[in-house]
Amino acid sequence: MKNTILILLVSLVSLTACSKENNDKESELVRAVFDPGNLKFISNSLNPKKKTMSALYGNEKALESLSKENQAPGAGTVMKLVTWRYHDNPQYIGGTITGELVSIETVQADHLGKISYDIKNSLAQNNSPDKEERVDYFMSYRPVSRP
Amino acid sequence: MDTTKKKTNPIAIVFLVIIGIFGALQLFSRPLEGKAVTGKIEAPKEVISILENSCFNCHSNQQNLSWYDQIAPVSWAVNKDIKRAREVLNFSEWEKLSPAEHQGKMYAILNMMQSGKMPLHEYTLLHPSAKITEKDIETIKKYTLSLSSVSPSTQKKLETPQTLSVVSTPASAKLPVSPNGVQYTPDFKNWKVISMSTLFDNSIRVIYGNDIAVKAVETENFYPWPDGSIVVKSVWKQQALPDGEIRPGQFVNAQFMVKDSKQYQDTEGWGFAKFSGDELHPTGKTASFAKESCIACHRQLAEKTGYLFDVPMKVNTQKLIQNLQKK
Repeated sequence: MKNTILILLVSLVSLTACSKENNDKESELVRAVFDPGNLKFISNSLNPKKKTMSALYGNEKALESLSKENQAPGAGTVMKLVTWRYHDNPQYIGGTITGELVSIETVQADHLGKISYDIKNSLAQNNSPDKEERVDYFMSYRPVSRP
Repeated sequence: MDTTKKKTNPIAIVFLVIIGIFGALQLFSRPLEGKAVTGKIEAPKEVISILENSCFNCHSNQQNLSWYDQIAPVSWAVNKDIKRAREVLNFSEWEKLSPAEHQGKMYAILNMMQSGKMPLHEYTLLHPSAKITEKDIETIKKYTLSLSSVSPSTQKKLETPQTLSVVSTPASAKLPVSPNGVQYTPDFKNWKVISMSTLFDNSIRVIYGNDIAVKAVETENFYPWPDGSIVVKSVWKQQALPDGEIRPGQFVNAQFMVKDSKQYQDTEGWGFAKFSGDELHPTGKTASFAKESCIACHRQLAEKTGYLFDVPMKVNTQKLIQNLQKK
């Protein structure tokens, strides 16, 4: 009996401890790496005015649409633009490096070519960007050149 | 009288023996190889004066050594340090470097001084006059930053870059190999991007990590980095759009760091490689090229992150990432 009470007590304590730990974990600072799922890196950009850098990811259809310099994403396109704030590199004067994650924008064209746009922002979303403008902006990217 | 004589004799003998040993050591002390000044660094007077005072004794062919630096066994250590120092940076053979390399060296110097890594602590202990002041660093900084504006490598006009598939491989099936055995692989184009960066040379960079490296970043398990970690930095020239936004232009190089603690013991377990241009030409003439170049800065300035410069900053919360990654 004593043992049962002890086990119950211990598990209660450890369970509470666990949930608290999870809460702490969520607000704990980490070194984040964006997981693009099955999308691939296509290109990137740097905005000196906003002090941000963005990486554009997409599927094969996205790559095709951007390579062909199409005006609009072809049916089946999925693209994500991940934007980070950048800082002076703390380890090297003369360099910058990405820091806080700012937003993730998604542009998709369904099988009929209907385009949708979505933005997830780190700050409270008070002004939602113009969809057409953002889609045009996505389409201004060209896949990076390399051997 | 007699007793004191007896007491001093052993001391005198010990003294003589020590002198004898020192004398004998000098026979094994080979003087430092004298080298000609082929092209001294050119910079404003105040910059040269700092470099001459704090750096030239090791990083040039114009040594002005103290007498105690030239006596064995101290001279052995001094000569070894000088030989190594000249390999990494030699102000007397400055003409061997391109203007872009001069700029790179000045940034390396600035970073070494700012972080207190240079001049070496062991050196300033014996040569206190070589210590650098905050004012010296400011002078070096001002000069170094002034070099940036000279560099014309930002392409203003937007030419359409060659469009190539993200997963394409070079036409030749044979992949280039660095002299130290690191092989180029196009696989990195499918890896996760761990960070993005820029450098004073007007380049824009994307840093990829393989699964082992990404896991090490996310779990902060990089003291040391696990064997098998590979990090690749892809470098492009910056290309400015009319509105000021910058995009990657011409491909410059792909820089590899491959962790193999057994194979690359001389360079903190990292195998360095750089493949440049469309030919992916590997940097280095001998297997030890990275010992003279890459590791010098990585070792001194990036020790905190396991000798890598572009490890993502610890500034995001798990919660934010989960929220933003939600569909």
